[in-house]
Amino acid sequence: MNLRGMIWLALEGLLRKKGRNFLTTSGVFIGVFALTLIVSLGQGLSRAVTSTVSGTDNLRQVGLTGGFGIELSNDPSEIEIAGEMDDARRERLRRAAVNRRQIRQVAGRRANAIDDRTITELSKLPHVESIAPVIVERYEMKLNGHESPATLSYGVDVGRRRYADRVIAGSYFSGPAAPEAIVHEYLLYRWGMLTDGDYAAVIGRKVKLKTIQTELTPEQQAPPMLQDFMRDLTDEERKAMNTLLPKLLKQLGQTTQRRAAEREFTVVGVLREQMPGDPFNVIEDGNAVQADLFLPQETARELFLASAVNIELGYPRALVTVTDAEFAPEVEQALRDKGYTAFSVASALKQIESVLLMITVSISFLTGIALIVSTLGIVNTMITSVIERTREIGIFKAVGATNGQVMTVFLCESALIGLVGGLLGLALAALAMIPGDLLAVRLINEKAAIPFDQPVFVLPLWLMVAGPALGTGTAILAAILPARRAARIDPVRALRHD
Amino acid sequence: MTLVTARELWREYSQGGVAALAGVSLDIQTGEFVALLGRSGSGKSTLLNLLGGLDRPTRGRILVAERDLATLGARELSLYRRTTVGFIFQSFNLVPTLPAWENVALPLVFAGVPRVQRRRAALEMLDKVGLGARGDHRPSQMSGGEQQRVAIARALANRPRLLLCDEPTGNLDSATSAQIMALITDAHRSGASLVMVTHDPELARRHAGRILRMADGRIVEESRGGA
Ligand SMILES: Nc1ncnc2c1ncn2[C@@H]1O[C@H](COP(=O)(O)OP(=O)(O)O)[C@@H](O)[C@H]1O
Ligand SMILES: [Mg+2]
Repeated sequence: MNLRGMIWLALEGLLRKKGRNFLTTSGVFIGVFALTLIVSLGQGLSRAVTSTVSGTDNLRQVGLTGGFGIELSNDPSEIEIAGEMDDARRERLRRAAVNRRQIRQVAGRRANAIDDRTITELSKLPHVESIAPVIVERYEMKLNGHESPATLSYGVDVGRRRYADRVIAGSYFSGPAAPEAIVHEYLLYRWGMLTDGDYAAVIGRKVKLKTIQTELTPEQQAPPMLQDFMRDLTDEERKAMNTLLPKLLKQLGQTTQRRAAEREFTVVGVLREQMPGDPFNVIEDGNAVQADLFLPQETARELFLASAVNIELGYPRALVTVTDAEFAPEVEQALRDKGYTAFSVASALKQIESVLLMITVSISFLTGIALIVSTLGIVNTMITSVIERTREIGIFKAVGATNGQVMTVFLCESALIGLVGGLLGLALAALAMIPGDLLAVRLINEKAAIPFDQPVFVLPLWLMVAGPALGTGTAILAAILPARRAARIDPVRALRHD
Repeated sequence: MTLVTARELWREYSQGGVAALAGVSLDIQTGEFVALLGRSGSGKSTLLNLLGGLDRPTRGRILVAERDLATLGARELSLYRRTTVGFIFQSFNLVPTLPAWENVALPLVFAGVPRVQRRRAALEMLDKVGLGARGDHRPSQMSGGEQQRVAIARALANRPRLLLCDEPTGNLDSATSAQIMALITDAHRSGASLVMVTHDPELARRHAGRILRMADGRIVEESRGGA
């Protein structure tokens, strides 16, 4: 069958009623436009999220925070409220108990602190490559005549090139335990040091860091048994206990340690802010986003452990690196089972992607409905077209067109409406993505801590085909009944028609 | 050789119980020129439509070129029209939005002839009817006689064995009619068998070999024409 000839006839028929057919096209156009945009957005966002985090070791890292122990679990089902009362009150009291329990636990000593001993132990878990403590701490700081009461410092794993690459004045650390410091440009800005000359003037100066809290509270110093005992006291009793504790501890022979740790380091460089396009480890570098002072990790650790409080409470967090990204969720779960709080980008990604998929699917569904409604318009146009062309159909048949060929002409007509609408929808969606991307990237960068410069809309090749194909397909479906009607027209009657 | 054999053809319309044809039997030999005369409503067009496979009899047998039209399926009937029959109507029946050459080429579209060849063949046909220069004109830009010549070119595009003309000059003045009849007799001379419906006994006598007069769906009189 010579399809081209029939497409030609269909096209000729369409061009006769340009206005009407253009209006009909707009239904398909809007449907495909919206669908393309939404699916591209879903694709783009999920790809942006993935590629933002997959450049570095993101997917191999698990963040670890000290937990509060399984024995102090927050599982509400364990709590029971005794006594005669109605269900509503029992539920209220149970809720209250759950809430109070949680609050008290937070105030207490950590059951699962992270210290060198536990790090060694956890390192033996399967698939764990290494565990490094995260050292984030505030210090009193003096530099070049400026003072800051609580500067946030971060211990850098010196092997990380991405920190070296952000040094804009001076140099990077000479080694993992070097007595050196790098200052963030924002700190200099706050001190009014703005020029390259100012930056250069800082290099080689001494920075003095002093521990802020050197002493444990009496309660923190108490033996674990006593701490557990105190946890169940009323506020009144607790207050009294706290006044008594220092004496009690002295009696027990425990003396408070007063080691005001103080160190002096040489400033070797100035670090610039993290910008979009810079490699970024969500878990590892997330700890450093607010830091103004950077130390080599070993140097930072030595200073951190010079404080008795820190020895007692352990590291605030640790960074677990697994041997392969695929094991991250497994290791994360293993750490949770041991009573720690663990977080991995890999499992967060899975959640984000499933949410994105849900949104995409549900909006696509709505757009699909819009597309279905637009088919009603196509059906209407096609029926009108068939009626208008009745005599022509008679002529076609008289010169030897089969019913199938007559049907094909009208199916082609509708397919062309769908194809034009689909292509227009695709083209306009692709155009709309350009300002859409600019806007989205700007909005995200205004709000988010993680630098972001990925396209938000990604138009994959399959969608470029699927969008117009969907429009064409729907239009063809919509035309089946009108086209069959055209095919069944009695030629004798059609030729008398006017 | 017999081209058409029709026996006891009936065509009844359920509405009103009218019989447009009421038992028509006839034979047409290859190369014959038959004229159908008769009053309006006597069943001439109905018979022509049955011969051309545009319509089916409700009763009776109709064989054209060894094909039993009454038993053909819709698709075979279309192929029969495409390969064997050419229609010429009183009201031309051109597609108004298509240029002359595309109207002529219409049968070739459904026969699957590629566009370039279609155009060449159509222009050749138009040349034969004296409209070689008018291929790109639309029907609305042409006189009635010219439109009918385009229609003749279209009817002949498939080189049909059977040419069916339903009052081909009914809408034309006598001078133009003569031109059209000249083209139709040309086609007859080049080998087509011809059935022509007309109101004009003089026209029938001058061109046809045999004249059939119809009344009330029957052939009531047969006479020899002058040709
Ligand atoms: N679709 C139809 N329904 C009912 N009657 C019809 C139909 N078509 C034709 N007829 C009737 O059949 C008869 C023959 O019509 P037709 O063959 O067109 O006559 P002619 O061509 O000789 O003028 C007429 O009486 C006409 O009214
Ligand atoms: Mg008639």
